[in-house]
Amino acid sequence: MKFRPSRRKFLKQTLAGTAALSAAQFIPITALAARNDVPGSLLFFSHHEFRIIRAVAESMIGLHGASSEPLHPHDVALRADQFLADAEPEIQEQFHLLLVVFNSPIFTFVFDFQLKSFLDMSKSERDAYLRGWMTSIFTFRRTAFQGLKRLCMSMYYTDSRSWNEIHYSGMFLPEDRQ
Amino acid sequence: MILRPNDISGPVKESADVCIIGSGCGGGASAKILSEAGKKVIVLEEGGNFTHNDFDMTEQTAYTNLYQQRAGQATDDLSVTVLQGKCVGGSSTVNWTTSLRTPEFVLDAWKKNFGVKDLSADDLEPYFDRIEKYLNVHIEPEENHNPNNRIILNGAKKLGYHARATGRNTNGCVKSGACGLGCPFDAKLSVDVTYIPDAVKAGALIFPNFRADKIEVSENRKHVRGTILDQTTRTPRYEFDIEAPIVIVAASAIHSPVLLLKSGIANSSGHVGKHLTFHLTSAVVGIFDEVIYPAGGIPQSAMCDEFLNKNGDGGGFWIEAVPVYPALAALSLPGFGEEHHAMMKKFINIGASIVLVKEIDSEGEVAVNSYGRPSISYSTGIKDRAYMKEGVNTAAKIHFAAGAKKVMTLHTTPTIFSSPSEIERQLENAQWGANEITMFSAHPLGTCRMGEDVRKSVVNSRCESHDVPGLFVIDGSVTPTSLGVNPQITILAIAEKNAERIAEHYR
Repeated sequence: MKFRPSRRKFLKQTLAGTAALSAAQFIPITALAARNDVPGSLLFFSHHEFRIIRAVAESMIGLHGASSEPLHPHDVALRADQFLADAEPEIQEQFHLLLVVFNSPIFTFVFDFQLKSFLDMSKSERDAYLRGWMTSIFTFRRTAFQGLKRLCMSMYYTDSRSWNEIHYSGMFLPEDRQ
Repeated sequence: MILRPNDISGPVKESADVCIIGSGCGGGASAKILSEAGKKVIVLEEGGNFTHNDFDMTEQTAYTNLYQQRAGQATDDLSVTVLQGKCVGGSSTVNWTTSLRTPEFVLDAWKKNFGVKDLSADDLEPYFDRIEKYLNVHIEPEENHNPNNRIILNGAKKLGYHARATGRNTNGCVKSGACGLGCPFDAKLSVDVTYIPDAVKAGALIFPNFRADKIEVSENRKHVRGTILDQTTRTPRYEFDIEAPIVIVAASAIHSPVLLLKSGIANSSGHVGKHLTFHLTSAVVGIFDEVIYPAGGIPQSAMCDEFLNKNGDGGGFWIEAVPVYPALAALSLPGFGEEHHAMMKKFINIGASIVLVKEIDSEGEVAVNSYGRPSISYSTGIKDRAYMKEGVNTAAKIHFAAGAKKVMTLHTTPTIFSSPSEIERQLENAQWGANEITMFSAHPLGTCRMGEDVRKSVVNSRCESHDVPGLFVIDGSVTPTSLGVNPQITILAIAEKNAERIAEHYR
């Protein structure tokens, strides 16, 4: 019988080393922002992870956090928290790892020569950083980008509050196209 | 009867003549035939039992209740999303109704290359006829094609390519567009509203939320053991043990091999889990001035079949319309951020067509990960990649011919054409590797392939294990090659034919 160590073995193994380093105390992980902006009772994310995914959602979806937007990145992160709380254990494990690595200054240094975590980056720096993952020559970075994109996009666009801005009014053709 | 969650208050131990694992096309059709032949049949389904009252036509509800991994099932490297149903009715509950017979050249290749017996076009014709009648497979009249399907019909016609309406298994379709989210009108004649109710009428017992974990074989009996899950939380409730002399594994090309591998049976050939084909799929998206509204109307009623086996090598591609829902669009459209958001705001002006490649040199594998679940890998061959490139090129031309102002591919790095003259050059420079272009599969097949050579196949032409008498695999995993067409009619025909043989042989 052929066993494989995990569903996304190569991603996990590649990320694991860096995650371990980042989790260690040598690296000053981003100073925590005020905690009162993170819900007290999260189901899956730690508070730190919640802030990362909220920032990723903002850049990934192209939101600005403005009140005119149908969903705040905070809402997307909350939905992601609920979604991942029910996910398969291997996916949960990989997302925890991924977020540590994704935000790690070690990783940003190795790949982008800057010692800044994702959370410490400006908006344009975040966009450039994400683009680097999206188009990387390394498959595991492209895979990780896809994982983050899928999570953020599906959490945003399965929420009916996002439908007005894309003129989606549910099933059935509009009357003039029937 | 179909067991309801409240019917269960402890571990379940039952016996039957036939235990069927999976309630999709393979399992559902087998259940109907065998229960009508007088067998005591128990059908185990990992997913829940949902009916029209549960289908609210939203992606969120559908993906949560009806799809494997909430529509997130994918290869290990996330390069191919593998869409499959996980509910009573299986993928038929969430497919887009396209109903096509197995191409004759495919059946000929099975006979020639794998020694498959009694599955020629002539052998299957009575089954195709019967199934098409039972499921009311029909061609939609011209006026029923939605704007998204008209792109293919009109564009292909202008370019001189052959395109036609597809068969659909519906009755009383109201053109909601919700086929992929569960039909709330019971107009789609999927397995959950046809074969399963008929099997129940004939006495079959359907056990939803029963996940088979292992098949144990001893003497003439077999035990299927597993876990009863909570329909909502998916957490384990109790264990079950079903004893039967005949076990039919019908859990799909992804999950059947996992069950066999975990059980350590039926794999003397070493081919269980191997030879996975996807009917590899990508898409092009056209931006039109007029409203297309790709989520509404009949989702899939037309195709361009000009390029399947055109070179006589058994490969090629064809092009079908694809319904586009908001989240599906967002996942598929290239890039991210403000540029992506701007594309999404053109959602109602989007038309989309999928390119499906019938593989000839690509192959994947399903193994078992440390959590006991599928680990899926896949590698694209040079010939199939060339066909995908040609297919994307052709589909883009069709969109321009149908009036698109811009056409884009699903490459990670946005690849957008403003005119047909830009297509060739840009595609030449595009990257086609893992996660460099979004790929899908809704037709995984071939991981327990049939054949008469015990060294090269898992089951014989009757779908019975070479190793374990009375153990059958009847689902998409038995096809020796990719089909090149949507597989539900093929799987139903194989199931009906072989279930009849089982009923006859095990009187």
